[in-house]
Amino acid sequence: MPFAKQLIRVVTRVFAALLLVAAITFIFVRIVPVNATTSGFFYLVAVLLIATTGGLVESTIASVAAMLCFNYFFLPPVGTFTIADPQNWVALFALLATSLIASQLSARAKRRTQEAFDRQHEIEKLYSLSRALLLTDTTRPMPQQIVQQIAQTFSFPAVALYERHNDLIYRAAEDEIPGIDVKLRDAALRSTVSFDRNSGLTITPIRLGGQPIGSLAIPDLSLSDAALQSLLNLVAIGLERALSQEALNRAEVARQSEELKSTLLDAIAHEFKTPLTSIKAVTTDLLSDPAHDLPKYQRELVSIADEGTDRLSKLVTDAIELARIEGGKFRLKREIHFPSSLVSAAVRQMKPFTEGRGINVSAADDLPLVWVDAGLIQMVITHLLDNALKYSPPGTPISIGARSGDGRVTICVADQGPGIPDLEQSRIFDKFYRGKSDQNLKGTGMGLAIAREIIRAHGEEIWVTSKPGQGAEFCFSLPVAEDHNA
Amino acid sequence: MNGGRILVIDDDPQIRRAMRTALTARDYQVTDARRGEEGLEKLRSAMFDLVLLDMNMPGMGGLETCRLIRSGSEVAIIMLTVNNTEKDKVSALDAGADDYVTKPFSMPELLARIRATLRRLPQPPTSADLGELKSQGVEIDLPSRQITVRERISHLTAKEFDLLSYLLARPNKTIPHRELLQAVWGPDYGDELEYLRVFVNRLRKKIEPNPAQPEFLLTDAWAGYRFHLPTRD
Repeated sequence: MPFAKQLIRVVTRVFAALLLVAAITFIFVRIVPVNATTSGFFYLVAVLLIATTGGLVESTIASVAAMLCFNYFFLPPVGTFTIADPQNWVALFALLATSLIASQLSARAKRRTQEAFDRQHEIEKLYSLSRALLLTDTTRPMPQQIVQQIAQTFSFPAVALYERHNDLIYRAAEDEIPGIDVKLRDAALRSTVSFDRNSGLTITPIRLGGQPIGSLAIPDLSLSDAALQSLLNLVAIGLERALSQEALNRAEVARQSEELKSTLLDAIAHEFKTPLTSIKAVTTDLLSDPAHDLPKYQRELVSIADEGTDRLSKLVTDAIELARIEGGKFRLKREIHFPSSLVSAAVRQMKPFTEGRGINVSAADDLPLVWVDAGLIQMVITHLLDNALKYSPPGTPISIGARSGDGRVTICVADQGPGIPDLEQSRIFDKFYRGKSDQNLKGTGMGLAIAREIIRAHGEEIWVTSKPGQGAEFCFSLPVAEDHNA
Repeated sequence: MNGGRILVIDDDPQIRRAMRTALTARDYQVTDARRGEEGLEKLRSAMFDLVLLDMNMPGMGGLETCRLIRSGSEVAIIMLTVNNTEKDKVSALDAGADDYVTKPFSMPELLARIRATLRRLPQPPTSADLGELKSQGVEIDLPSRQITVRERISHLTAKEFDLLSYLLARPNKTIPHRELLQAVWGPDYGDELEYLRVFVNRLRKKIEPNPAQPEFLLTDAWAGYRFHLPTRD
């Protein structure tokens, strides 16, 4: 259709141009006879007029027609195409050359103007697209909005966008383009441009920082290369923005769910500990009051209740701690600390339980600073201490050592208990696992699991070395603060 | 014999019951309140020596209640907390509590804390020459526990008073942490550095012209605290 229309337009204009040449000829031959020079100038002016208003085709045809008419009607011998005076050959060819060159120049100037106009138009469209992409509504999927904006801004009948990160294809089209999905994925994967002659479909990869992040299919590629490149850059930035927004949303959701979990656990801790508090107050009061000393059997019964309360309280504390840190989805509040002050804080915290036990702390003087969450590392040490207290005979000493090497600090807690058989050593850090050999168990089976989760979250390791009959030594490593000495 | 008047503020009826029974048996006069608001009301209408305050209560929480009590009273406060974390302890002391006990606690431990909190130091020696301090705009009136710094008047709580008197009685000398803790809180204490940190900060807010840059109540890193008493030369 457009081609036929253009043809009709060109033919019309050629006809008009020929008509103008004929009119000049008629006027100067029949109405106001003039000499050859005057008519020659008028032909020249007419051709220039045609060249500036029309295209190259009509002005070239008009040039030839003017040359022929000039020769036939004005150059002697008039009425023939022959030329008597050789000087007139010069005049004739000067006319032809001038009008042809003028046509060319004029056409070129026009083309330039048209190109500049097109460029400007493209830039305007790109600008309005970039504006639209900046103002996208965050509640709807961004890539979908991008394709719609492209289709709308450039008046494309169909646009398809492939987003590689989530492997999704977004469309803005009334009807489906067959086989487009495969082509889009292929273009993004191979990072190559393809052009389909039949459908006029261009598929180009979208790159950001050299990496293909998707591909775009647009029909009827009338855009200049520069404009296409700008369009692709805009889409790349838009997609990148969408992805980072998505990541931000995910982080926000994770933070909120962590907060909710923490609030829930606080509430559970409170609910469990409140009744335990009144029980504990009663049992300890009964056991401590010398003024109203209980008969021996009653004292025994109250002691049972008191120990049960302690055990339940420890279970609740451990279970909540474990729930809080399990799966490593908690945030470490890392700071720079002295390893020895972490150890002494933990020892201080365990003081009520270490009476009658020698706690030997040996830390090298020149230990480097560590980059850790102090509260959690103290918890690890108290769990290891608690473990050592439970699994070694009363009265035997416990030693805590700290040493450095290989860019980390290692802290060890050693007891003089019966040790741990090889078979059990691999399972000892598992949740709810408790040593089989010992009958008198007070543990909850969670302490070492908690310790392992905390150390893993720091990206470090915890391990045990033990031989039956020779005690057990639990060690864990901590990262040195050097890199974080900001 | 009367051991003192204690106000128990806790939302759990069983805990209030246990406290009332056990404390009354030790000759304390016990009044209880279910909420922070109710506790504040009772504090306005009667005199108490000590408040046992639950940290986690519906409505006005324990910390907020503590701050409100402190804004108008120097009564001794022991906070009862569920979490055994450093952060909770420090926030309790920062809110103005004198001590805290972690739930569940043993009765002998609570009784020891109550005794330590109510324990008064023997009348401090007032030999220290506070005249030069006064000329620098800091007026310490020990008998009335009133401090005036640049026309800003504040009152000391009992523990703040004990801590300041102990330091003032030994001016210009570094007092180790352990010695301070045992002298002011009692022989069972000695490792609770966070108590000192918070109480020294509280004192600085009351006696220092610029609490961020103390001139009198000084920290000697890793060693202890020292009261710099200017003398007339």
